[in-house]
Amino acid sequence: MLKVDKVTKFYDDFKAVDNLSFTVKPGEIFGLLGVNGSGKTTTFRMIMGLLEPTSGNITWNDKPIDYSVTDNIGFLTEERSLLTKMTVLEQCEFYGTLKGMSNEKINERLDILLDKFGVSEYKYKKIKELSKGNQQKIQFITAILNEPKLLILDEPFSGLDPFNVELFKEEILEMAKNGSMIIFSSHRMEHVELFCKKIVVIMKGKSVLEGYLTDIKEKYRKKNIFIKGNIDVGEISNIKGVVEVKKLPDEYVVQIEDNDITNEVFKAIKNQYITKFVVEEPSLNEIFVSKVGESYEK
Amino acid sequence: MRSKLNYLISISLKRKIKTKWFVIANLLIAIVIMGIINIDSIINLFGGEFNNKTNIYVVDETNIAFDLFKSQVDSSSNMLGGTSSFNYNVIKSDKSIDELKYILENDEEEGSSIVLNFKESSENILNVSMITKEYIDLVDTQILTTAINNTKSTIAISLSNIPEEVLNSIYSPVKIERIFLEDNKNNEDENMEIIMTTVFPVVILPFFMLTIFLVQMIGAEVNDEKMTKGMEIIISNVSPKTHFFAKVIAGNLFVIIQGVLLFLYAGLGMLIRNLFGGSNITGGVITEIGSLVSSVIDSNIGSSLIYVIPLTLLLMLITFLGYSLLAGILASITTNTEDFQQLQTPIIIISLLGYYLSMMAGVFKGSLFIKILSFIPFISAILSPSLLVLGQIGVVEVIISIVLMVITVSLLIKYGLRIYKVGILNYSSKNLWKKMFKALKN
Repeated sequence: MLKVDKVTKFYDDFKAVDNLSFTVKPGEIFGLLGVNGSGKTTTFRMIMGLLEPTSGNITWNDKPIDYSVTDNIGFLTEERSLLTKMTVLEQCEFYGTLKGMSNEKINERLDILLDKFGVSEYKYKKIKELSKGNQQKIQFITAILNEPKLLILDEPFSGLDPFNVELFKEEILEMAKNGSMIIFSSHRMEHVELFCKKIVVIMKGKSVLEGYLTDIKEKYRKKNIFIKGNIDVGEISNIKGVVEVKKLPDEYVVQIEDNDITNEVFKAIKNQYITKFVVEEPSLNEIFVSKVGESYEK
Repeated sequence: MRSKLNYLISISLKRKIKTKWFVIANLLIAIVIMGIINIDSIINLFGGEFNNKTNIYVVDETNIAFDLFKSQVDSSSNMLGGTSSFNYNVIKSDKSIDELKYILENDEEEGSSIVLNFKESSENILNVSMITKEYIDLVDTQILTTAINNTKSTIAISLSNIPEEVLNSIYSPVKIERIFLEDNKNNEDENMEIIMTTVFPVVILPFFMLTIFLVQMIGAEVNDEKMTKGMEIIISNVSPKTHFFAKVIAGNLFVIIQGVLLFLYAGLGMLIRNLFGGSNITGGVITEIGSLVSSVIDSNIGSSLIYVIPLTLLLMLITFLGYSLLAGILASITTNTEDFQQLQTPIIIISLLGYYLSMMAGVFKGSLFIKILSFIPFISAILSPSLLVLGQIGVVEVIISIVLMVITVSLLIKYGLRIYKVGILNYSSKNLWKKMFKALKN
C-alpha cells in the first residue's frame, strides 16, 4: 500500500503542498485532481523521491521509497520526458535497463506493447520524427514497460484522440486488475470518472475533497433532473430548492439542492406532456468546479 | 544484471562515439593532421614556380670570382636543406650582357633567371651588377648577397698573400668551450631547452582541444536530458551521484579515446612522411619534433622525460577530471543550452591562459609570476609541465601542482555534487544563485 501521510512541501516561503494525506491499495486507481499549480506534480515528484517533503512521510508497504524499490515503479511525466534523438528501441532499452530489465525482457515486452498500441512500425524511428500522439504512446510504453507495481501518470491523455484514450484506458484497467496501484492526474474529469474509484481534489496544495467517488457523489446533495417534453419551466424555477434550470437543445436540466426536491418538481409538471424525467448524479466535473470554486472563495 | 553506473557510462560513450558524426569528424581531423605533417609534400605535389630552378648566369670579368661564388651558393643551398625551393644552376657565361638581357626578356619561366656581372674594382676589389626581369624574392637576394660578400672576402684574403695554413685558420669556426658551474648541466641539454621552449607548447596543444571536447560533451548531454525532462525519469531510477559520476567518467573516457586517436593520426602522418619523404622547410615544427625524438634519447632531458611524461599525463588526467566536474556542475544549473555555452567560455579561457603562459615562459625565463600561476589548478595542467621541461621548476613543484589539483577535484566532488543534485531538477532561473548557495549549505 502507498501511504502519503501529512505531507507538506515548502519552496522557500511558498507552501506547495499542505498536510496532504491519502492511501492507495493494490488494484486501486487513484485520481489526484486539481487546477494548474495546485501541487499535483510536486506530490508526484515527492512520491518518486525527486523532492524531499518538508514534513510528513511517504511510504510504500511501510518502507520509504528509495532506489531499492524504484525498479517497480513506472512514471509518466506531464511534459514529454523522451530523449528525442534516440530511436524508440534505444529509448525503451535505456529506460528499461535503468529499471533493471534485461535486454531480452525489454525487447519481448516492447514488441507486445508496440503491437498493442499500433506503433510497431516506429520501433527503429527516432522519437523526434513521431507525431505528438505517437510520442505520448511511446512515453506511456516506457512507463509501463517494467510492469510496475506502482504507476504514476501525470496527465497521461494529453495529445491523444478518443480512440487512443480508449487504448490507454484498457491497459490501465488491465494493470489495475493485475494488482498494480495507479495514481493519475488529469484535467479531464470524464477521464477520471472512467477509471478512478478514489480521488483527492487539491487546491493550493491542500485537500478540499477526498474519498471514494461513489461516496463523494452520494454525499454531494445536488442532483440533476433531465426533463424532455412540453413543459412550463417558469413554474419549476419558482420551487424552493431548485438551483438552476438550463435549456439544452432538446431537453431541460433542472439542478436541485437535494434529492427531496425531486417530488416537488415532478408534482409541478406531472399534468404536462413529458417524455423523459430522469434524476442523475452530478458529474465529477460539477463537483470539482463546485469544490474548487468554494476553495477559491475561502 | 549490469550496474546502472556502468550502463550509464556505456550509453553516454555510445551516444558520442557510435555516431556517423564522430566518424566524419575524426576522418576530417585525421586528414587535417596528416595533411599538416606532410604539407610540404602536398605543396610540392601540386607544383608551382618554386619548383623551377633559378638559373644564375655569371659573366666573370675577374676570372677568379666564379668558382668561389659557385661553391658559396652550393654550400648555402645545401645548408638550407637542398629542397627545390633553393636549387640554383650557377652557369658561367661567355655571352655578352646584352645577349643575356635578351635571354632574360624572352625567358619562358618568369623570374627564374638572374644575370650577375662580376667586375674588378681597385677601390672595392669586387663590383657586381645583378640583372633580373622582375623582382626576386627576399631569400634569393639574401643568399646571393651573402655568397657575393663571401666571394669578395676570399678574393681579398688571397690577394693579401696569406699562407694557406693561415687562410684555413681564418675560415675554420671558432671553438667555443662551454663551461657549466653545475655538474649536471651539459651543452646538448642547453640546446634542447631552447628547442623545447617552442616545441613543448605545440606538443601539448591537443590537451586544449580535448578540454573543449570534454566540456562541450558533458554540457550538451546534461542539458539535453534536462531540457527534454528525461532527467526526471533517469533520476527517479538512479541517484544524482551515480548520474553525475557516469557523465564525468564517460566524458573522461571519451577524451582519452579521442586523445589516443589524435596521437595515432599524428603517428600515421609521420609514417607517411617517412615513407614518401618530405622536405624540412615547410614542415618545420614537425621536423623539430622528429629530430627531437632521436636527440632526446642521448640527452639528460631524455632521461628526465621518464618522469616528465608520467607526471604530465597524471596532471592532465586529473585536470580533465576537474574540467568535467566543473562542466557537469555548470550544466546542471543552467536551464538551456545557450546559458551553458556562455558559462563554458570562462572555462576555455582558463585553459587558453595556461597555453599562452607556457609559450611565454621561454621568453620571461625565471618569471616569479608565471611560476606562481603554474600552481593554480586548471592552469597548471599545461604550464607546470612546460616549466619543468624548461628547467624552471623541479619535480617537487609539479607534484605540488598535482596535489593542489587533487584537492580541487575533491572539493568539486564534495560541494559540486550538492549543487548538481538540486540543479538537474531545477528548471527556473529565478533565484538561481540563492538556490545553489542553499544547496551548498545543505
